[in-house]
Amino acid sequence: MALLTDDRRAGRTSHRPAPGGTRRWWTTRRRDHLAGYLFIAPQLAGSVLFVLIPLGLVVWYSLHEWNVLADTFDFVGAENYRAMADDPNLPGVLRATALFSVGLVALNLSLALFLAVLLNQRLRGTAFFRVLFFSPVVVSLVAWTIVWGFLLQDNGGINGLLDTIGVDGPNWLRGDLTAMLSVIVVQVVKNVGLNLVLFLAALQGVPGELYEAARVEGASRWTQFRRITVPLISPTILLTSIITVVGSLQVFAQIAVLTQGGPGSSTTVLVYYLYQQAFQFHHFGYGATISVLLFLIVLALTVVQWQMRKRWVFHEQ
Amino acid sequence: MSSSLSPRTKVLLYGTLSVLAIPFVFPTWWMVTSSVKPVSEIFAFPPSLVPTSVSFEGYRDAFSTQPFAQQYLNSAYIAVVVTFGTLAVSALAGYAFARIRFRGQNALFLVVLLGLLIPSEVTIVPLFRMFNAAGLVDTHWPLILVPILGAPSVLATFIMRQFFLALPAELEEAARLDGLGRFATFWRIGLPLSRPALGAVSIFTFLHSWNLYLEPIVFLSTPEKFTLPQALTQFVDAYGGPMWNVQLSAASLTAIPVLVVFVIAQRQFVEGLAHTGLKG
Amino acid sequence: MRARTTAAVAVAALLGLTACGSGQGGGADEGPITLRMTTWSANEAHVTLFNEIADEYKKSHPNVTAITFDAIPFESYTTTLTTQIAGGNPPDLAWVLENAAPDFVSSGALLPLDDTLKGADGYNFDELAPAATKLWQTDGKLYGYPFSTSPFGIFVNTDLVKAAGQQTPAELIAANQWTWENAAKLAAAVNAKTGKAGLVVRDFDYKGWDNLSTVWTGWGAEAWSADGKTCGFDKPEMVEAMTFLHRATFTDKAFPGPGTTADFFAAEAGLTITQISRASLLKDTKFGWDLVTLPTGPKGNYAVIGQGGLGVLKKGKHAEAAADFLAFFTNPTNSAKLAQFFPPPRTSQLTTDTLAKTNPLLKPEQLKAVVIDGISSGVVKPSHTGQAELSQAVRSALDPLWKPDADVPTVLAGVCTTINPLLAK
Repeated sequence: MALLTDDRRAGRTSHRPAPGGTRRWWTTRRRDHLAGYLFIAPQLAGSVLFVLIPLGLVVWYSLHEWNVLADTFDFVGAENYRAMADDPNLPGVLRATALFSVGLVALNLSLALFLAVLLNQRLRGTAFFRVLFFSPVVVSLVAWTIVWGFLLQDNGGINGLLDTIGVDGPNWLRGDLTAMLSVIVVQVVKNVGLNLVLFLAALQGVPGELYEAARVEGASRWTQFRRITVPLISPTILLTSIITVVGSLQVFAQIAVLTQGGPGSSTTVLVYYLYQQAFQFHHFGYGATISVLLFLIVLALTVVQWQMRKRWVFHEQ
Repeated sequence: MSSSLSPRTKVLLYGTLSVLAIPFVFPTWWMVTSSVKPVSEIFAFPPSLVPTSVSFEGYRDAFSTQPFAQQYLNSAYIAVVVTFGTLAVSALAGYAFARIRFRGQNALFLVVLLGLLIPSEVTIVPLFRMFNAAGLVDTHWPLILVPILGAPSVLATFIMRQFFLALPAELEEAARLDGLGRFATFWRIGLPLSRPALGAVSIFTFLHSWNLYLEPIVFLSTPEKFTLPQALTQFVDAYGGPMWNVQLSAASLTAIPVLVVFVIAQRQFVEGLAHTGLKG
Repeated sequence: MRARTTAAVAVAALLGLTACGSGQGGGADEGPITLRMTTWSANEAHVTLFNEIADEYKKSHPNVTAITFDAIPFESYTTTLTTQIAGGNPPDLAWVLENAAPDFVSSGALLPLDDTLKGADGYNFDELAPAATKLWQTDGKLYGYPFSTSPFGIFVNTDLVKAAGQQTPAELIAANQWTWENAAKLAAAVNAKTGKAGLVVRDFDYKGWDNLSTVWTGWGAEAWSADGKTCGFDKPEMVEAMTFLHRATFTDKAFPGPGTTADFFAAEAGLTITQISRASLLKDTKFGWDLVTLPTGPKGNYAVIGQGGLGVLKKGKHAEAAADFLAFFTNPTNSAKLAQFFPPPRTSQLTTDTLAKTNPLLKPEQLKAVVIDGISSGVVKPSHTGQAELSQAVRSALDPLWKPDADVPTVLAGVCTTINPLLAK
């Protein structure tokens, strides 16, 4: 269970006394400290410079009324936060965000797992299908979204295909529910290949004997899946769900190209709302405030998932 | 899961897989075929699966309306530099977080992990101001430095750390006992062993850089410096009306080479991804 | 402890680096000047002309070493421009879209141009048409030069109209019957007989609602009152105009419905409402076409214009030099050159002769009816301070209207409820 390995294990090479051990101050331990810092220095410096400092600046901006055009930057204290509490749009935006994220994560993970199980069968041509399902991952996101924009038109390719089998398709991007469904599906199809491959690798790591034993005991396929497969690949499920949840809260280009948050404001998720406020409406201070909220939500969700791992992630020990 | 499948199950499996594959294949197919269709046929209803007549005008126009070859080169070289840079940074950091014990390790790891949680829309304005203060706006530096050192490389570091944690440490310990220094151990033993993880990180990183959209739009303003995703949105007539066939041709041009490379190298590709040490 | 110190040192070092960099980047006002102008046109012909003008300017101004034209995608234009300003990297000159005009003009982001332009040799400042400059002025100062003042007209695919067995708009005009009722009937017939779309309000696409002003102005409706304080969506004339539009879309199928793409210039639609500058797209078309004025509405004849302005950013590094270049870029000689793409605001150049030379695709009577008369009498598309937010609110509140069973008065009343707080700001 590599993912969950206790960090302490990492240090087990370093407690031996230094060979020779003549210099008392310049111990192996100190040398290790230095080596460690040097090794992580580029990444740490980058994190500070390109993540922490910008994040701090965003918090700082959120305490200001910042009008770019008029070139004003006035300290207003918690005013933006108070405005956020009273923002009539925010409940709708949060609802859309929740719907989008839950739908995306559920569809992505279940489809990835389902496809992985199918492709894990002893079947000719699984490599071919693996390529098909993975191929959208390598297509440029902008190209992908532009193409789906064409296809989802009322007179576009999707409804054209449905028409040939006698189904009168809905006007996808114009209905509240179908628009939400469309952006979710477009995103899932684009990226499910990544999770699929991770699941596939995890499935191949499950020892076949376990299934043999289960079959001898007369367990059904579903029981085998539930009692053997899921627990054994639970670390992968945890990791993919964390990455997918975090990713779902960052989806932007697809919504900007496909629906611009509409119809109404049914697909205005938090990132898009933040973009609107800051870059379109020029409320950079308020935009920064929403950024802070978004960051806190992502942080909270990640912490919760990380804590939950103790409950349901299977441990070998 | 099972040793042999009945013919009925096989048919069922193939059928399910084929139907599910449609949304994965159809958009790309439609993009490529439509790019050579006459404009009026792009919107034909129902869509024609095979173009009635083929015209490569869109492809020619893609290169004549913009410095498209240069933009292609920009995207490619940036993605390659970012990939190698990220490999270096993340392998070092991942190795240290997994293998070396130093004070504040866990806290520092958490600090680094924060980068994973922040959408780029959140930090784009402060980053823009910082790069502007450094006089680096409208250069490729922000598109190279931020991915290598900032938030995007964090996932890479995370993957490398997990890989090294899963890798038995005996070889390295033996080398250390033979008096090899930390860096030499890393360089001669750890790094060669981590090839699968490095492969996975390269793929992630290359695709991420290749797809970057918001950052180029914000940082770059000279067409000769544009990257591909940004260039794609520029195939419009003078009044912002899209030139459909040119746009689709250009989109196909950005996708086809990567798809071809992927199909050829898919085994290493996918298996590299799978062996990230993320599994059980 | 150690970790914290290390981090702090790293921060200090890197910030130091940043600071050094900024020293090199900024400043340097004396010495060679480079100018940067943002536009939304990557069109080759446009860029070639801009560069010609710039080269000529550089000959007489050796201290200006380079003038670059950065084309930003139209859709994200204002956003990108604002980001550059926010990031402290404003261009020296910028095109400004009409819907962003009130924000840019009233905010103080732009340099007043009157003195520079009036002081330029042979500039003829006084010949700028007041209808064209109105949007770009505040407190008697001009903050943007309306380099493009482009009236809306209707392009007609005469082949499709004939295939549908209908009288062409030109014939209807001659018979004095070119009304919205008849235009809708014609469009519905084109759709019914040829399967192509009827009348497309270009760039509307059920999002860019301000383009609908090309229709509702015929009913005397307006999005908000001239002072920008009162919502106009719930007024009887707007309800009437929108009821017409709704019926024509969903019952008669005269307009293509939401989510349907139909490009007039690809022969996919019988008629389209758009700015006449799009005539250049007709260069290679194989179908017969015509350009006519907007039909008459219940309130009679009317015209609508769309504008683009050119301004100098106050925060740019060389605002003075930029204003001087603007004066050169838009002087009578260069304005005449630009007129082949962008109808000029200069009354002396708004003649069929000048325009015919530069718009070879259009006939003199078309130019007279649509361009010259349009510019003198035209209503500018709706704009307001805080336009982006307002526009987004209207779009979202109008969405329920684009369904077959929508109740028009209720939806429109809802639009006013939504935007009243924004108008009051």
